[in-house]
Amino acid sequence: MKLLIKSGRIINPATNTDEIGDVLIDQGRISAIGGQLTAEGAEILDATGLVVTPGLIDMHVHLREPGLEAKEDIASGTRAAAAGGFTTVACMPNTRPIIDNSILVAGIQQRAHHEGAVRVKVIGALSKGQEGKELAEIGDMVEAGAVAVSDDGHYVANAKLLRTGLEYASIFDCPVISHAEDEELAGEGYMHEGAVSAMLGLKGRPAVAEDVAVARDILLAEYTGGALHIAHVSTAGAVELIRQAKKRGVRVTAEATPHHLTLTDEEVKSFNTATKVNPPLRSADHVEALVAGLKDGTLDAIATDHAPHAFEEKDVEFRYAANGFPGLETALGVVLTALYHTGRFSLSELVGKLTLGPARILGLDTGSLEVGALADITVLDPDKVWTVNMKESYTRGKHSPFDGRELKGKAVATIVAGRIVMKNGEVTI
Amino acid sequence: MSKGIVTLKNRDILGLETMAAAEMELVLDTAREMKNIIDRDIKKVPTLRGKSIVNLFFENSTRTRTSFELAGKYLGADVVNISASGSSVSKGESLRDTLLTVEAMGVDIIVMRHEAEGSAKFASEAVSPVIINAGDGAHEHPTQGLLDMFTIRQHKGRLEDLKVAIIGDILHSRVARSNIWGLLKMGAQVHLAGPQTLLPRDIAQVGVTVHKRVEDALEGADVVNVLRIQKERQQKGLFPSAREYARIFGINAHRLTLAQPDALLMHPGPMNRGLEISPEVAYSGQSAIQEQVKNGLAIRMALLFLVLMGGKNLEASN
Repeated sequence: MKLLIKSGRIINPATNTDEIGDVLIDQGRISAIGGQLTAEGAEILDATGLVVTPGLIDMHVHLREPGLEAKEDIASGTRAAAAGGFTTVACMPNTRPIIDNSILVAGIQQRAHHEGAVRVKVIGALSKGQEGKELAEIGDMVEAGAVAVSDDGHYVANAKLLRTGLEYASIFDCPVISHAEDEELAGEGYMHEGAVSAMLGLKGRPAVAEDVAVARDILLAEYTGGALHIAHVSTAGAVELIRQAKKRGVRVTAEATPHHLTLTDEEVKSFNTATKVNPPLRSADHVEALVAGLKDGTLDAIATDHAPHAFEEKDVEFRYAANGFPGLETALGVVLTALYHTGRFSLSELVGKLTLGPARILGLDTGSLEVGALADITVLDPDKVWTVNMKESYTRGKHSPFDGRELKGKAVATIVAGRIVMKNGEVTI
Repeated sequence: MSKGIVTLKNRDILGLETMAAAEMELVLDTAREMKNIIDRDIKKVPTLRGKSIVNLFFENSTRTRTSFELAGKYLGADVVNISASGSSVSKGESLRDTLLTVEAMGVDIIVMRHEAEGSAKFASEAVSPVIINAGDGAHEHPTQGLLDMFTIRQHKGRLEDLKVAIIGDILHSRVARSNIWGLLKMGAQVHLAGPQTLLPRDIAQVGVTVHKRVEDALEGADVVNVLRIQKERQQKGLFPSAREYARIFGINAHRLTLAQPDALLMHPGPMNRGLEISPEVAYSGQSAIQEQVKNGLAIRMALLFLVLMGGKNLEASN
């Protein structure tokens, strides 16, 4: 079965490619890239006027399975991924039970193989039960296929545990992903602490709670030589700490979410629970610092922190609402609208943050369009204007701060291992 | 804009942030007429006969709930009180479902108090009866803000250019926030003081002046509004002891001399005498604390009347 993508603008950040051409896929791998390719019997995908990129990779999603299927499961979450142009997602281990051993890692991969629409990579827990006390069996999990370990959802408050985790995980070249926020300092805050929280009366989570956590984590990475990845960076202070650490040669990488790169705490004035997320939407100065950090390479990847919840968990008073919202189906449109169409980033820069960046952090063999590589490809229309309608989304989480917004830019085809899993917004698997 | 077209008919009263100065003027003017009714021998007027009001209180309240209840009854409406402890809330019903149930009974106004910020807005989006916010968490308490402004205007004749000092726990106070929005819109100068641990970060950006020392806020103030200090704030470590609070931040006769000689002293109640306010000043000639309660009734009568009848002239609508 061959697939020929014709006349697209091929953008491949790994090789600094940005040119019109064809991509031929055979047996699930890229067999040729060039001009005027032909292949007998191949299915033709006309990409004239469209952009052909490596399949997008989201290194931070919550698929909620096992145990939290009212929010999402592997089938629904990976369909949301396909709809959004993602060919690979890495799922976080804060499920019920926690993914903290090799059997669960293997089980997720097996179920994803049968029920998933896109590739699923598993992030195992750093500590048993994510309790922050004893290391989980990291070696076993990596051998079973885990690509990183994390206690995401919680900060590793015990500095000694993070130290040993960084040391131990480095044996297996496994990055440790930190959800960096000092929980005592953040308290029971419901939004960013600042001028907006001051007048809404909602308790605030101060930016400094993230800064102190990132600072400590960087010092431990520096001391141990372990690979540290900071999840969902949201503060100017964290960006600066990471920037300085990289200059010193610390093995630290970082991601930012589409919402932290584009929305401010002003959104919370509506008391719309779709704006409740952790880390919280910050003030404009933090958003600006994040965009600058993305531009200068301090932030390596854009990741959604796709965090769907059941309707009843969001249809409540703001302070009782669950943190987080889905992001897979809106990410590309949000990022292109706010960062590409404003002239701040080139398409290639943004594609890099959604492909090569996360692939390098997690050590994946995808993220680049090369002959012989797995044919994970996204075709996108950067100029397609569309309106977000969460009622029609594939994810089970129906609350999004982007619901109803007009965006410019959308994936129009998602190809995993040479197979079209989404075309024109319809998931075909 | 002429005053004639200002109307609050069918308007949710969620807070003073979203209320225009002209609308507040209308409420204050109407409340003056309502106050006359309270002083009558026979208080009941038939203005809201056939209308029904539900006081939906998810938090304990004596004065606000009683005030709304009497306000409705004096105007002839049927008033029912629902308190959270006696409702289906304890059975785990969602706020939306509780509101839908109350709505289905055909009520005209829901007066709601709830511990969560934004809950009044939630209610206004969930159901059709007029929602009057009787306090949503630390967010707003618009009728308290209005009654405080009414009281100030009664004594000072105006709000514009007055220096109003609000003292105490601003961080957890919905009274403070409604006062700030209302007073700023009416042209007053708002000064805040209290332990820095109880002052919201960056609140100065809204246009108020923030002081670390109470004395600086009191200096030359025309009005001193003292907020209640809840004892559990001390247990949460936000200030070391009640004793130290009273000594450094409490309003007593000595400190009050820093304000204008005729400065008006207010407190939303209930007071912790000897903590945030000393009895000697609470019962002094400068104190308007009892007057505030009576004015609260007038303000709530005015609001109930205005959101249901819309008109400005009480007699005309009879």
